[in-house]
Amino acid sequence: MIFQPAIIALLLAGGISLFMLLAASPFAVQVIRHWDIASGSERQLKLERLTYLFATLVAFVCLVQILAALLFVFNADKMSVMFVGAMCAVGALNVNAFGFPALYAQLGLFFLATLWLAINHVDTRARDYPLVRLKYGLLLAAIPLFALSLALQLSYFLGLKADVITSCCGSMFSEQAETLASEVSALEARPAMVVFYATLAVAILLSAWHWLGRGHISGYLTGVASLAGFVAGIAGILAFVSLYLYEHPNHHCPFCILKPEYDYQGYWLYLPLFVGAAAGMGAGVLRLFSRRPSLTAVIDATSRALAGVAVVGFGLFVAVASFMIWHSNLILLD
Amino acid sequence: MIELSQIRKAFNQGKHNEYWALSGIDLAIPENKVTALRGPSGSGKTTLLTILGCLARPTEGRVRFKGEDISGLPERFLTDIRRRSFGFIFQQFNLIRGLSAVENIILPAYPAGQPRKDLLLKAEALLADVALGHRRDAKVEWLSGGEQQRVAICRALINDPEILIADEPTANLDTKLSKEFLGILEKLADKGRTIVLTSHDPMVVDSDVVNFVVTLRDGRIVDEK
Repeated sequence: MIFQPAIIALLLAGGISLFMLLAASPFAVQVIRHWDIASGSERQLKLERLTYLFATLVAFVCLVQILAALLFVFNADKMSVMFVGAMCAVGALNVNAFGFPALYAQLGLFFLATLWLAINHVDTRARDYPLVRLKYGLLLAAIPLFALSLALQLSYFLGLKADVITSCCGSMFSEQAETLASEVSALEARPAMVVFYATLAVAILLSAWHWLGRGHISGYLTGVASLAGFVAGIAGILAFVSLYLYEHPNHHCPFCILKPEYDYQGYWLYLPLFVGAAAGMGAGVLRLFSRRPSLTAVIDATSRALAGVAVVGFGLFVAVASFMIWHSNLILLD
Repeated sequence: MIELSQIRKAFNQGKHNEYWALSGIDLAIPENKVTALRGPSGSGKTTLLTILGCLARPTEGRVRFKGEDISGLPERFLTDIRRRSFGFIFQQFNLIRGLSAVENIILPAYPAGQPRKDLLLKAEALLADVALGHRRDAKVEWLSGGEQQRVAICRALINDPEILIADEPTANLDTKLSKEFLGILEKLADKGRTIVLTSHDPMVVDSDVVNFVVTLRDGRIVDEK
């Protein structure tokens, strides 16, 4: 293992998060079994008082995991200088078999954490806490994912050997490699651009419709379009945005753009994309519960606010990507 | 204004020392009237008052406030209702030592987010109403019992509550101060304020200021007049 402050911070974040969720799990079971908002029994009053404490703890865990996702990516890139053959985060993540699974698990936790925070937000604003069972059920269901993420990170970080010769982005994202990433990288620039701009335009328009209007359908559509926008965004970065940014017709790596050599420009792409996608998908998921009378108003307001965040996130992402393309000296299209 | 139906309240529920402080209370608190709850110690007066004042939830039964069922409301939302609609005068006054009279009065209004300047003006007007304007900046521990109670009344009124709840308000006062308190109560009643109080004191319970007397014994209502 290589001792680095970021690695220690990530393992601590993962360990403490898992510990806190495990500590909260007996309470979650009690809530699921005994919660009865209509009752004034001492057990119910105790559960209500404790739910403020546990919801705050879990919200803290979620915020930690959202920040940990950012730190994981930043750290992977920072570690790349330590390994022979690594040019960016891809090389560092390829040092052993656990790097990319650990990244995917961390990104999964990012979306799960944002979803939990959104559900918690609306639940605590409704007078009868109608989602409290769902919220704590989700907490119990998330424990295996938190444990898996920690196990993958531990395996990854413990398995880091400075003398390993690793393969980097050149091989992984080349058009000749046989991976999903390479297939996306191999997309023709023009159709990829059409899909990219069309999908994101739909995501922005639907989110704006939901933001400014109201209704279930626009909420669900915002959720689905945000997921599609996220996929199209990642695919677009792989297929052509990265090429313009590197001003190189064959370099598709989505991680090199995070490097200081490229002025950390990747963060300007990924942060709004992830925020927009999480907010848009959250807006859609929340709509599933809006038919409960006590949640109708609060979900309407929250879902629309999230749709607004999605508009800003996706809009910023498209603007930044377009600026990069416009500003580049590379000519991909005639 | 407040309606209780089949209210029961247990303490130490499920334990060997389980105790039912209230057993099947049905009661309607009339608007713009003074209601007194009386009864011997342990009869459930204070428990009933805490339920009426949204300080506690009943174990069983329904509470309706201005037509809305608030029985199952979590404490967080009860706090909002309490802050908006209720003022409290406690037996021990519960003033905060080290703070002046005016600072104690404006304290419950802070969470509502009103500007301090407006609150100070309001507090000064309330102090003037109870003839305590000259003691505005005195630390509360320097005030006499009667003055402390008047400060407590002003604090209960700072949020302009619809209902004033007072638990044994004259228990710590001598006869003269109790009469003074009744005078203040009368003024508040004349202004149409709904007041609910508990008291052992016949001077309070039997006074003309009180419109409605509820007698409790062993957690049950035994008389209403």
